Amino acid sequence: MISNKLKVSLYRYNPEEDKFPYMKEYSIEKPDRDIMVLDLLHLLKEDDQSISFRRSCREGVCGSDGMNINGKNGLACITPISSVIKRNKIELRPLPGLPVIRDLVVDMTEFYAQYEKIKPFLQNETTAPEQERLQSPEERDKLDGLYECILCACCSTSCPSFWWNPDKFVGPAALLQAYRFLADSRDLKTQERLESLSDPFSVYRCHGIMNCVNVCPKGLNPNKAIGEIKSMLHKNKKDIIVSDGV
Amino acid sequence: MKGSIIWNLQRYSSIYLLGYLIYIFINVYSSNLNFFSWSEFFLSFQTRILSSIAFILVITHAFIGLWTVGTDYLTYRTLGFLNKSLSKYADIYRKIYYFLFVLLGAMYLALVLYIIWL
Repeated sequence: MISNKLKVSLYRYNPEEDKFPYMKEYSIEKPDRDIMVLDLLHLLKEDDQSISFRRSCREGVCGSDGMNINGKNGLACITPISSVIKRNKIELRPLPGLPVIRDLVVDMTEFYAQYEKIKPFLQNETTAPEQERLQSPEERDKLDGLYECILCACCSTSCPSFWWNPDKFVGPAALLQAYRFLADSRDLKTQERLESLSDPFSVYRCHGIMNCVNVCPKGLNPNKAIGEIKSMLHKNKKDIIVSDGV
Repeated sequence: MKGSIIWNLQRYSSIYLLGYLIYIFINVYSSNLNFFSWSEFFLSFQTRILSSIAFILVITHAFIGLWTVGTDYLTYRTLGFLNKSLSKYADIYRKIYYFLFVLLGAMYLALVLYIIWL
């Protein structure tokens, strides 16, 4: 007989009450239609008000409900349960590697600190034109696949290099944004940006295992961006050697 | 040290080692393999130089790899996942680990160079 119950294993931790985190098992009536993991969490919360998780736009734009769903990071609001369910069970955990504040809510301070480090804004000290700084269509094309990042942290928290060194390795999300500004024809601080990434940890801790590409809910490719940054760092080094020689 | 220097050292040492292995295989299999041809090949000045460079690069490559392992897993944070009291001594463990693999690497290299040249 096919069971009509869906089992949900949920990571629970309330530092004010629990000494250690634990997995709590829930059993819920299988919905008639395919719903998103976020909807499933809302159904659970109707029964257990103490469950905590972040959510906002519920359409994959705000990036606030990133979590580990059956072992893979993703956005709960755009992940249908049919795509993740295994043996009638779904396991939900917080994003790995970041300190847990409560249940599925993680402390993203380290993630944002790395984002801040790459100076995610246009730096151009030349006099601003009357209307806007123009780009050719080709220059604009270079930004496709970079600017769409919503900073959900699914990629960085699936990266072992970021787990071990979140204070030194910039992480795929911030590196994607670093390349977004390196590739921007309007930004004039390329040398300074490259210099700040040239140490052995910031970029070079990426060993290209592609977890970031595998989990990105927006289908972006941080690994490619990291490769481009490495190429720029190598070319930059050669440029410096040539100019010193001259 | 710049990350690109470490990155290049690791990549180019791998390429050299691949080239060295190809050189060995070509020379060994292009002649009648016996004790004398083997000895003659490895005692030639050219092979001695190439072998010495290869083993120096093996040590360099291994050093970078082990340094990466140490800075990933022997840290306050990573050891803290296992045991908080263990993580307090992470810096000491890492220094002991570095000391051991530098010592073993130096001994290994000295022994290999001794075998190649004497």
